[in-house]
Amino acid sequence: MAYNVIVLIKQIPDIDQMKTNPGTGEPLIQNVPLRMENLSKNAVEAAVRIKEKNGGKVTVLCFGTEKSTSVMKEAYAMGADEGYLITGYAGNYPSVTANALASKIKEIPHDLVILGNQSADSYTGLLPGSLSAILGEPLLGNAIDIKLQEKQVSVVSALEDNNLEIATEMPAVVSVAQEINQPRLPPVLQIMAAGRKPINQVAASNLQVPEVKTISNRAPKSDRKRIVYEDPAKGIEEVSNVIREAIR
Amino acid sequence: MKIIAFSDNKAILSQIISRFRDEAEVHAITPDPDFILKYGASKTFGLKGDVLSGPVSKAIEKMYQSGGYDLIAIGSTVTGREVAGLLSAMLSTQAVSEVNSLSFNGGKATTSRFFYGGKSLLTEESVAKIAVVAPGLAEATESSKKSDITELQLEPSSVKIVSRTDKKGGSVDIEKAQVIVSVGRGLGKKENLEKVEPFAKAVHGEIAGSRPVCLDYGWLSEDRQVGLSGKKVQPKLYIALGISGQIQHIAGMRNSKVVIAVNKDKSAPIFEEADYGIVGDLFDVIGKIKDKLAQ
Ligand SMILES: Cc1cc2nc3c(=O)[nH]c(=O)nc-3n(C[C@H](O)[C@H](O)[C@H](O)COP(=O)(O)OP(=O)(O)OC[C@H]3O[C@@H](n4cnc5c(N)ncnc54)[C@H](O)[C@@H]3O)c2cc1C
Ligand SMILES: Nc1ncnc2c1ncn2[C@@H]1O[C@H](COP(=O)(O)O)[C@@H](O)[C@H]1O
Repeated sequence: MAYNVIVLIKQIPDIDQMKTNPGTGEPLIQNVPLRMENLSKNAVEAAVRIKEKNGGKVTVLCFGTEKSTSVMKEAYAMGADEGYLITGYAGNYPSVTANALASKIKEIPHDLVILGNQSADSYTGLLPGSLSAILGEPLLGNAIDIKLQEKQVSVVSALEDNNLEIATEMPAVVSVAQEINQPRLPPVLQIMAAGRKPINQVAASNLQVPEVKTISNRAPKSDRKRIVYEDPAKGIEEVSNVIREAIR
Repeated sequence: MKIIAFSDNKAILSQIISRFRDEAEVHAITPDPDFILKYGASKTFGLKGDVLSGPVSKAIEKMYQSGGYDLIAIGSTVTGREVAGLLSAMLSTQAVSEVNSLSFNGGKATTSRFFYGGKSLLTEESVAKIAVVAPGLAEATESSKKSDITELQLEPSSVKIVSRTDKKGGSVDIEKAQVIVSVGRGLGKKENLEKVEPFAKAVHGEIAGSRPVCLDYGWLSEDRQVGLSGKKVQPKLYIALGISGQIQHIAGMRNSKVVIAVNKDKSAPIFEEADYGIVGDLFDVIGKIKDKLAQ
């Protein structure tokens, strides 16, 4: 049986390239390139694999800004069929994001909504639960494996102390863990074709941004000595002394 | 103040109770009431039924709506974060996640949490009524305060449990270790652990690892994972072997006193977070250090 899958993808600053202001410790996010959030990629990969195996359609949704077209194209190149960019994103407000995405999801017939379990930048992890509640669809969380059979979906959910196999009827929300798959690197030809594919853009309405005051946002202080020996022979003597001192 | 505290992880729940029991009436919800009893919550609710996020959130919703609660504190586990997300939508209230400090002032909550994958620490003031609490909020200490256990029956769920496989875990507690020898993907293969073990022994260290080593490859058990989504450790000495030093890893070892890193790539970010670094092959370097220490 073919399945209609909605995938949620987030765009984030490339945190690996992000530097912090050496004076104030504040993160410098201007000019940091934007990219697709790590687990969003796993979510796209999971959805595309379902389509490849069973047929159906993959629709991606991103709540972002006018600048988020590149992640859409990336998802297209990986195999997504259609994409909606919902504009109006103004920061990490999980309730705003959940409502903006849910109102679009409700308009699209679907069997599954697949998203990451926890964003790699904000590390919030609230979206899977919130969407499940707003949509009134059961949640199967932190999946490392997804199996579909007729109208039934089952996943292996990686919990802290055990792996739990859980199942429910579709439509359902499934959040995925990084370990579920290795997202593909699309070939150049597909990337070029993706660039020509249209992106549907809609503005989010009725955003109710909650009151949150940032008191500070700084890199934790690092007073490391940073003494690096490029010649191991030299380092071993010194480092052995440090170890001897520390374990005394 | 009146607080609902829930976690399916008894360590985090005991920390939340210890943190708040003096300033608030804490109503604890737990699948392990006998264990939780000794931490001095005002009321202890023992869950009956499958501890899945759907039914748990419904039970908490009901309790919260019975009135008078200032906060719902939830331990950060897979199930806990789901419950928080569900409740945030069900109660139309804000939630703040992964906090490692939490205080109140006139109805507002001041929270701190890591942001940008662990690169910065974000302190905010909000009207959030739900807080997802990271491990280590406070030290768990027993209390003489007594409470009874009330049974709390969970509703059946539309999600069915098919099977449960326990993960092999040891009895190590790397959070308490004084010396940690931590290995990354640079280890190459599981068999190479045999080459690291004698070194760890020589420095009286516990072996820990990065996420790929503990999760993807399973070379080490998951309870040895250090990082944002693993354990936060603070040993006197942290020796990182073949770990590149991605921010999500740093977030777990940042509070170590002295950090030594060995990596064959001189531009590996771990050297930015190390006191002493040696550029070289980890097996070669630890062999030589071991010899030196034996002298
Ligand atoms: C949401 C999220 C949460 C995460 N949480 C965590 C977490 O809690 N903990 C965590 O660790 N990661 C976490 N990660 C993953 C993290 O981003 C990195 O992928 C991971 O830390 C990399 O592990 P590594 O350093 O072992 O591997 P790599 O990055 O592959 O580094 C291996 C290093 O070994 C060196 N090397 C290779 N061979 C040798 C040799 N013979 N001698 C010396 N050096 C050698 C290489 O130069 C390289 O620098 C998380 C990621 C996400 C998205
Ligand atoms: N702005 C967004 N637009 C689309 N999907 C998102 C957005 N934010 C988060 N997600 C999805 O939700 C997952 C979990 O995010 P979070 O709950 O914010 O940690 C991510 O891995 C994405 O799949």
